Amino acid sequence: MADGLHIEWLGRVPYDEALARQAQAVEARRAGACGDRLLLLEHPPVVTLGRSAREANLRTPRAQLAARGVAVREVARGGDVTWHGPGQLVGYLIVDLAARELRDAHAFLRTVEAALAAALAGLGVEADGREGMTGVFVAGSRPPRKLASIGLGLRGWITWHGFALNVTTAPDAFDDIVPCGLHGVVMTSVARELGGAPPALFDEARAAVARAFAERLA
Amino acid sequence: MSIAVELPALGESVLEGTVARWLVKEGDRVEQDQPLVEVTTDKVDAEIPAPAAGVIEAIVAAEGDVVPVGGVLARIAPDGERPAASPRDAGAASAQPAPRAPAAPAPAVRPAAEAGPAAAPRPVAPARPVAPAPAARPAAPPEPPRATPVARRAAEAAGVELAALEGTGVGGRITKADVERSAVPAAEAARGAAPAPRAAAPPARASEPSQARAATPRAPAARAGAPHSAAAERFGHYAVQEGDRVVPMSPLRKLVAEHMVYSKQTAPHVGTVAEVDLGGVVRLRDERKRAFQEQHGVPLTFLPFVVHATVRALREHPALNASVLEDAIVEKRDVHVGIAVETEKGLVVPVVRHADRLSLAGLAAAIEDLSARARTKRLSADELTGGTFTVTNPGREGNLYGFAIINQPQVGILRMGEVVKRPVVRTVDGEDAIVIRPLMYLALSYDHRAVDGAPANAFLHRVKQLLEEADFDV
Repeated sequence: MADGLHIEWLGRVPYDEALARQAQAVEARRAGACGDRLLLLEHPPVVTLGRSAREANLRTPRAQLAARGVAVREVARGGDVTWHGPGQLVGYLIVDLAARELRDAHAFLRTVEAALAAALAGLGVEADGREGMTGVFVAGSRPPRKLASIGLGLRGWITWHGFALNVTTAPDAFDDIVPCGLHGVVMTSVARELGGAPPALFDEARAAVARAFAERLA
Repeated sequence: MSIAVELPALGESVLEGTVARWLVKEGDRVEQDQPLVEVTTDKVDAEIPAPAAGVIEAIVAAEGDVVPVGGVLARIAPDGERPAASPRDAGAASAQPAPRAPAAPAPAVRPAAEAGPAAAPRPVAPARPVAPAPAARPAAPPEPPRATPVARRAAEAAGVELAALEGTGVGGRITKADVERSAVPAAEAARGAAPAPRAAAPPARASEPSQARAATPRAPAARAGAPHSAAAERFGHYAVQEGDRVVPMSPLRKLVAEHMVYSKQTAPHVGTVAEVDLGGVVRLRDERKRAFQEQHGVPLTFLPFVVHATVRALREHPALNASVLEDAIVEKRDVHVGIAVETEKGLVVPVVRHADRLSLAGLAAAIEDLSARARTKRLSADELTGGTFTVTNPGREGNLYGFAIINQPQVGILRMGEVVKRPVVRTVDGEDAIVIRPLMYLALSYDHRAVDGAPANAFLHRVKQLLEEADFDV
């Protein structure tokens, strides 16, 4: 049974710790100990490589990254390489699709895209999904300017992982990698699209995202 | 009866998944809902849980395999139907009225696919022989040979009978190395013992008729595209040598192979080549490519020019935009052009629908989008079907011209050669002169059942003309 969506703000959490907490949350969800959850947080700088990641998409040598305090993690997920860090709002969705009678990962992905687009509209950035590309992009941008990455995992019918929305990320945040191995996609942020960051932009984004998901997954 | 672990339908647009990692091994005991295997799809990564508690009887799909929705990943011998409940042990337990072991042989049977169609219902055998079967039971049906999936496929590819092998792997399982060691002698034996290359089963097992089938249940499918039995026997098959690398065909490779054999057997192919002066197109492209990229976000290549000229010519020559249907030729109203794309996984041909309604920029964007998604495997089934004509651009250096195989059920395919500067004779102000022009050979393969030489050449000539006029709205 799905009764609503419980949304939590965890603050800044190291990647490994967040991964462990997600795994626990999935187990708890499976056991019925809790309902569906959206964990919102921020990571210290980390580069994660999915299973199909190619080292060539890491532009900066690992040693150099380590020296700058950027962790590198190989993760048991599909996809290529990505970056998480300050200014990026990360959301982990622990949702039992079977309990919601929504046994369609693709449909759920579209829900996530739609929620993020709605949150972004509230912040003044028009965004949408792209046919054939997972993620949320500035509407009509060519080449595509990407605001949020989405990477969902399924354990049975319980989702985990989620999205990463660039809110006030530094312009050079993604310079160390070729994001998702996609050449020709430009990573952008809400702040950059607005032409500057109002003081409480990150908090506003967090509230807007929480609202958008609460509406769709109530 | 074993339970099949299938790839569930993860979403309406998810058609298949790739096995990324097995979290369990054959013989492992698993709990219900325990994650068994990680599968990646174009949309999500999914861990597939055990549908029931039991023992992993067989891992059917190896890491790296692409499995369609509903395809079997593994088989589980569920609790309660494992050795303890089998009639073999029920007999030994004699008078003890065990609740799950009826005195009469249990009706549990192996799935028909494993037992072979003619086999009578057999008692469930233990997934793993815990101890050697007692000698007093000669009538007990022999176990199917235990082998790793990789070994099974290597055996199929090499035509080696698994039952003939001695397994050196864990629990006596036959490994790929065992297959490879035996491949050379087995293949040689097969040649000597023609016409039955599979007769190499050991005499001890020869009396078990269903054995051969049980050992190689997927043999026919695995032989896609390979020359078939009778002909192969006459003309010989290759005997795997030591040091050879046996690469099983991927599902896509098999599909391509089957399609190619089918097309060549069905359609009498004729080839014809035109030499196209791309001077005008090259000039246009050089002038516009920068602005085009900025305006449309995609590079301006030669391919959309060729496709654009092709669809215009197809409109004027509907005989090439057709299919053969029994004893009729169907000329199609719509023009949907397939574009051959070489991906990491093999050849795919996504389709630009209503290509005749698109501008050059529209074609360029559609082609770029489809090929990008073909490479990342994000095409829907609809985008891979319904083409009425195909253009292919192998585009590697040194590709002068060649004749492609027609993409069935179409009647023509156009293959682009490399664009190369060559000296040619042109008449300038009434004088013949040798000038340097960028040329491309454009090769048309057509189905002579539907199209004769003259109309085929007229069509090809029209494509050439349109490209040389270079009247494109860029």
